[in-house]
Amino acid sequence: MDRAFQRAKILTNHLLQSSPSSPAQTPALSSNACLNYSPPELSENYAFDINEMRKLIDGHHVEERDWLFGLIRQSKVFNPRVSGGRVFMSPNYNQSMEQQREMTWKRIVYLQERGVFKGWLTEKEEEVEMRKFACFEVLGIFDHSISIKLGVHFFLWSGAIQFFGTKHHHDKWLRDTENFLIKGCFAMTELGHGSNVRSIETVTTYDSNTGEFVINTPSESAQKYWIGGAAKHATHTIVFSQLNINGTNQGVHAFIAQIRDADGNICPNIRIADCGHKIGLNGVDNGRIWFDNVRVPRENLLNSVADVSPDGKYLSSIKDPDQRFAAFLAPLTAGRVNIAVTAVYQSKVGLAIAIRYALTRRAFSLKPNEPEVLLLDYPSHQRRLLPLLAKTYAMSFAANYLKMLYVKRTPQSSKTIHVVSSSFKATFTWNNMQILQECREACGGQGLKTENRIGQLKGEYDVQSTFEGDNNILMQQVSKALLAEYVAAQKRNKAFQSLGLEHMNKPYPVIPSQLASTTLRCSQFQMDALCLRERDLLNRFVADVSQYQAKGESKAHAFIMSYQLAEDLGRAFSDRAIFQTFVEAEATLASGSLKDVLGKLRSLYALICLEDVAFLRYGCLSVDNAATVRREITKICSELRPHALALVSSFGIPDAFLSPIAFNWIDANSWSSAQH
Amino acid sequence: MTNMSICLVDYEFPAFLLASQLNQVWHIWEDHLCFFISLQVLVEAHSSARILTLNRPKQLNALSFQMISRLLELFFAYEEDPNVKLVILKGKGRAFCAGGDVAAVVRDTRAGANFFLKEYTLNYLMATYIKPQVSILNGIVMGGGAGASLHGRFRVATENSVFAMPETALGLFPDVGASYFLSRLPGFFGEYVGLTGSRLDGAEMLACGLATHFVPSAKLPMLEAALYEVDSSDLVIISSIIDQYCEQPSLKEQSVYNRLDVIDRCFSQKTVEEILSTLEREVVHQMDGWISATIQTLKKASPTSLKISLRSIREGRLQGVGPCLVREYRIVCHVMRGELSKDFFEGCRAILLDKDRNPKWEPSKLELIADSTVDCYFSKVNIEEWEDLKLPTRSKFNLPPYVIAKL
Repeated sequence: MDRAFQRAKILTNHLLQSSPSSPAQTPALSSNACLNYSPPELSENYAFDINEMRKLIDGHHVEERDWLFGLIRQSKVFNPRVSGGRVFMSPNYNQSMEQQREMTWKRIVYLQERGVFKGWLTEKEEEVEMRKFACFEVLGIFDHSISIKLGVHFFLWSGAIQFFGTKHHHDKWLRDTENFLIKGCFAMTELGHGSNVRSIETVTTYDSNTGEFVINTPSESAQKYWIGGAAKHATHTIVFSQLNINGTNQGVHAFIAQIRDADGNICPNIRIADCGHKIGLNGVDNGRIWFDNVRVPRENLLNSVADVSPDGKYLSSIKDPDQRFAAFLAPLTAGRVNIAVTAVYQSKVGLAIAIRYALTRRAFSLKPNEPEVLLLDYPSHQRRLLPLLAKTYAMSFAANYLKMLYVKRTPQSSKTIHVVSSSFKATFTWNNMQILQECREACGGQGLKTENRIGQLKGEYDVQSTFEGDNNILMQQVSKALLAEYVAAQKRNKAFQSLGLEHMNKPYPVIPSQLASTTLRCSQFQMDALCLRERDLLNRFVADVSQYQAKGESKAHAFIMSYQLAEDLGRAFSDRAIFQTFVEAEATLASGSLKDVLGKLRSLYALICLEDVAFLRYGCLSVDNAATVRREITKICSELRPHALALVSSFGIPDAFLSPIAFNWIDANSWSSAQH
Repeated sequence: MTNMSICLVDYEFPAFLLASQLNQVWHIWEDHLCFFISLQVLVEAHSSARILTLNRPKQLNALSFQMISRLLELFFAYEEDPNVKLVILKGKGRAFCAGGDVAAVVRDTRAGANFFLKEYTLNYLMATYIKPQVSILNGIVMGGGAGASLHGRFRVATENSVFAMPETALGLFPDVGASYFLSRLPGFFGEYVGLTGSRLDGAEMLACGLATHFVPSAKLPMLEAALYEVDSSDLVIISSIIDQYCEQPSLKEQSVYNRLDVIDRCFSQKTVEEILSTLEREVVHQMDGWISATIQTLKKASPTSLKISLRSIREGRLQGVGPCLVREYRIVCHVMRGELSKDFFEGCRAILLDKDRNPKWEPSKLELIADSTVDCYFSKVNIEEWEDLKLPTRSKFNLPPYVIAKL
């Protein structure tokens, strides 16, 4: 009956509209009631304490983070815009590259005046290092450019001085760096050499007559490239260069060189050009530098590893050039940790926006005249977003573990830090891009608008998979390290003791032939399955490499040829290591609603790892069991659906740092809004 | 019934209200209780407008439990009543409302908590009200009075307006949703106003956004008469009517609002201690009476109150109005339980009862208060009869966009 009535109404409307009679006689069409935006907070309940959850996943400095969010929120420099009655904070990406760089710098000055960087270089405590990480996580949520500008200054430039320099360098440079009296950059990469730092071409010689080093760019491919801060603002740089003493190349060393005076004029014998407009990160002034026999005082060699005496003798405490080189890469670790943990927060932004939108946007009715269905009530939409939510929670715990590992570093833990930070950096940044893409699509057309952030974040954060170590190369290093560990354990006939490989000492875990739901949700089973794949792949990788070697291939070549297994192994290591941190975080909780929901997230994370083709490819999972895993995933998704809002609210990202579609998108797009 | 209210303005208590005489008049009141209570909030109807007048002029319209209950009842009823399109709230006498009446609060912890529960529920209802509320702020607007007006859509200030959130001087903290509305003020003005209890006049209220309009008091009768005729809930229409009587007041030369740069520099600091040390540095740079006075005010306030207040405003900046009130209720429950500090009771004694104006705060110094103690104020009271604030459900209404934006 209703249907017939509606049809009649539509027909009437058509007839009335097409009627050629004068408009005055046409009866006004009654406008349809506008779709009603209903805030998800009013209909969704929180089954657990979101503040407690936030404390758990942020892990540290929650109040500090909120203070910084507040500083940004209250400042005009951070470009507040009103939409749908709310204020949103986000850079104006429609500005020119030059304007964006200028704004990034203004924002840094504002934060510096407010004391945000106080003690960052002059206090040396674990607490300060953790505080720094928290601040970068917050700043990265606002904008990647500001985070990178600061990262170059505080992690790379300052890190080089801290790690490679000695006391007189610390005394001379750190305080002025903290106060921005000097602005540092870090010139390592060249046009011809990125990841392969050992082969850079810049060369430095020593002139004992004047007591100066002479830094030179011998060819076009030796120009320093992608140097953040170099194009516009930096006054000083760390220069990585081969050190040639009396015709002997001593390998890569780091020097301090001034590139601009206090007024911003480029120094003599320095040439600087811009890297130009980029697909993102245009608030960072990446530049290229040529050194035309630039002279710097002897003290400007960062000499913690090696020194040159006034009369020109090379002195080093580390005789092995390999080890000497490895020592030079230390500050990159801090940067890599920072990149990994920052990536997690972009996933949080994307998911918070996409899930909030999915809780307010409807599409299609199941029956005529029924209300349309909420996007997140479609199992398929749940299946798209909720596993990514589980992944993001897993990454949060892993990020907290990585930060602690880094700040509590000892000489003994340096190998673990290198392997774990490489693995997590690659995995998190890849995950982040995948998550942002899915979130963008889940927001439909609205996802295309810059103001809705997700699409823009993809461009801004894409670079993360390349800088501070290309992801593929980092993952190869992970596999290489695992192989070395295996070979060492075999040689000494000793048990595995590090990199989480202790499970290799135990008997092979057995996967039941018929997996039940309860088994699939058991953390012991999940751990067994992930260990099984890692172990199996490590065995295969070792066998593959030694097979090539048996045929007379070099170790390096054998490695190149076994790349497929290396890639699978790297992923298996990361998944297992991340999962382990999830289990450990869960174990700290008393039973209750918080633990219950985390248990579901942990199971979901484990099961999506088990969906990796490597399980089927190498027979770790039967075809039947793989199907069972897939079914269980949809079940957990539906169980997590009621917690979706609470889970993204627990991210603790203030509303102003999300976007209009995360809130009243009807009002934000109304005619009256368009008039302002 | 009571002779105390949260307000820092000295005023004459009517003799018959003094506690010693309370019993004598009690039985007379009892007979007329219902009548009396209804008289505390006067109700007038003019076509589709309802005019509610806070009517305890001798107590500067301090909100009693009964007044809050009555307002809640009326607001709930008007929301459902299609004949009501506009609610006007004003005060009788020289105050709009000088605060919440805290006599019952100090005497009985549980009843006190119940008072705040009702009051915050009213604040939430007003903040999320589907019909426009116009508050005529022709006089004192402090504490609970701010909570009963500033959450509404239209706030009309006059040359008689005096606004303040004086709680830190009393051992309390800016509540009634202040962590929401103060934190939305420009820059760090909210922190300044909330921590110092600084008084603002009508021009300043308009400049910072606490008031939406400024109308000279002489024009109020005309404004009210015009509003009686509105017969609409349309914000644009109501706003344009008020606009007709508006004037643009000028800020006094010495207005604190002209000191926003100093306020931003100092009150953006991370902790109360750093706010004070930054203010002290500013004083060294430029001898300035206003900065020294600000330092003195902060030093006289309860150190515990200052720390809780700063944290509450900072958290409020990142939350909707509902979570703000839930948090404030948790804090006020801890304050009432007095286990962490008894400063509120000491403040009431020193300012309202003994009037020696010399409270002995405990802990007496900012440095003596651990962060973990401050944390406790923000945690749930884990005792059965101390429930979290349950906000009235709003999902059944088609909330206007400006309300949705506050959630």
